[in-house]
Amino acid sequence: MRIMDGPPGARTGAAPLLAVDVAGIRCANPVWAASGCAGYGRELAAAWPLSALGALCVKGTSLEPWRGNPGPRVAETACGMLNAIGLQNPGVDHLLTRDLPWLVRQGTAVVVNIVGRTIEEYAAVARRLGDAPAGAVAGVELNISCPNVREGGLQFGADLGAAAEVTAAVREATSLPLLVKLSPNVTDVAAFAAAVERAGADGVSLINTLLGMRIDVAARRPILANLTGGLSGPACKPVALRMVWEVAGSVSIPVVGIGGIATGLDAAEFLLAGASAVQVGTAIFRDPWAPVRVRDELEAWLRAQGMASAREAVGAGRP
Amino acid sequence: MEAPGPAGGPDRRRRSPWVREEALVLAQDQGGPDWFRLLLRAPRIAPLAWPGQFLQVAVRPVATGLPGPAGAPDLAGSDPLLPRPLSICTLDPEGGSLSVVYRVAGRGTALLASARPGERLALLGPLGLSFPDPGGAASRPLHLVGGGLGIPPLACAAAWARAGGRRPQALLGARGAAGLAGAAEVAACGAPVQAVTEDGSAGVRGLVTDVLRERLAPGDEVWSCGPPAMLAAVQRLCAAQGAEAWLCVERAMACGFGVCLGCAVARSDGGGFLRACVDGPVFRAGDVDVAEPRR
Repeated sequence: MRIMDGPPGARTGAAPLLAVDVAGIRCANPVWAASGCAGYGRELAAAWPLSALGALCVKGTSLEPWRGNPGPRVAETACGMLNAIGLQNPGVDHLLTRDLPWLVRQGTAVVVNIVGRTIEEYAAVARRLGDAPAGAVAGVELNISCPNVREGGLQFGADLGAAAEVTAAVREATSLPLLVKLSPNVTDVAAFAAAVERAGADGVSLINTLLGMRIDVAARRPILANLTGGLSGPACKPVALRMVWEVAGSVSIPVVGIGGIATGLDAAEFLLAGASAVQVGTAIFRDPWAPVRVRDELEAWLRAQGMASAREAVGAGRP
Repeated sequence: MEAPGPAGGPDRRRRSPWVREEALVLAQDQGGPDWFRLLLRAPRIAPLAWPGQFLQVAVRPVATGLPGPAGAPDLAGSDPLLPRPLSICTLDPEGGSLSVVYRVAGRGTALLASARPGERLALLGPLGLSFPDPGGAASRPLHLVGGGLGIPPLACAAAWARAGGRRPQALLGARGAAGLAGAAEVAACGAPVQAVTEDGSAGVRGLVTDVLRERLAPGDEVWSCGPPAMLAAVQRLCAAQGAEAWLCVERAMACGFGVCLGCAVARSDGGGFLRACVDGPVFRAGDVDVAEPRR
């Protein structure tokens, strides 16, 4: 039995104008919350109903609890920020027993971002998601792009063979819609998208953060305890948009755009470049209502363009 | 609402629902060489707030009447990207106003220092857990121990303690007299202040913990806010004396409401990290390792 019959927005009066299906993930609208920027939904739900989201990508979830990195973990940069959280999370059992039962009642599609140190760990997390009630998890987002952990993350996301191998293993472990979240810290992102498509991915999401750093000149030491971190926020948007453009032009699976989206017009740029949906991330940190505002502004833009559906905008900016 | 209690006795910290508000700047003045006082009219947030809680304060005033289509890039918004987490210094819930005291540490706080009366600043708050409810044990000594920019939250804390029947005593330290940010507010809120400066330019020469060591008795209560080294010294002293201590920590932070996990504070039991923004910023001294790790 599916938990929801039809897109969740149908029950909250959202316009069908916005409804999208992304790689088999049915969403009331194309505006999602990005992994690591919305926790497991409880904090944002104190401010607005999560049913306003197209989907919520939960914090990167591992087989066992992960401690994360020591602080300082964040540093501001020009129109952006660096983070090196280190994928702190309470593990997949906690998700399944504590967070997911609550999340499924919120009326949004739940996408579980999964992380691991080894291919076997990634596959084991994906397999555990099979223990969730049917329909509770709308999709899996395979995170092979975190720049802040020694094992897992970029070890897979910056090596074509490893990216394909972990995708294939997770594909084998779950029948849920499978997105692979790609790293921008590679020379040819389209090659990675093509590799994971061949390995069985149903879609790709990009970009994860750009590897960067800051130095405290008074202390003459890097600001982040991890030394380096991932750059996010509006500073990344042009890079993210270019990468989405390249990937959307080279694969036939859906693309979810991520990177510095803070307004409806930012989201519109990503749709025009070929993204079927977008994720709002860092903008949530400065405005917890950002995803709702982005959705409303995107809807106003679609209407002003005379478009009957958000799907009409997807790729409409491509010559 | 009472916070869920960790092991180690009743937890008297308070949490509030947070809201956003475009607060009116009533006054701003420079209190020292590098610190400012900002008085805000915030009639939604002030009645919800408890001492020890903090606000996320946007450093640029809210733009009004800007042209452009809905959904146009928020020009004032992304540079600087993040609001600044600032503790509440003075609080007038009935009058709907509150103040913050902050140090100009970089470009963001320099922009904040240029906010003028009549302008509006976007706030998110009240955030985090307060100091513990002071009511109950009127005769139990309460020491407010502050260092530098950790002094300001002790002002409304002193007023709350007085209202609860306590007789708080403040020990406020800085390198020199000019660094005693918010000490006047603490005194005005009803706590006798003993200043302690490293250079002897105000009060006693030395460290606040030197004076606290002489005053502290077993069973006393301490509320403290200041730099990590000071908090660690207060923590050790209170543990040795059998005093109950509550520590208000400062951390670099992005969201302020619990989702980014940026403001990690190490648990003392080795069990990973707590969030300064929602699990604190006020912690029971025994629950956390307040020192930032060496880089």
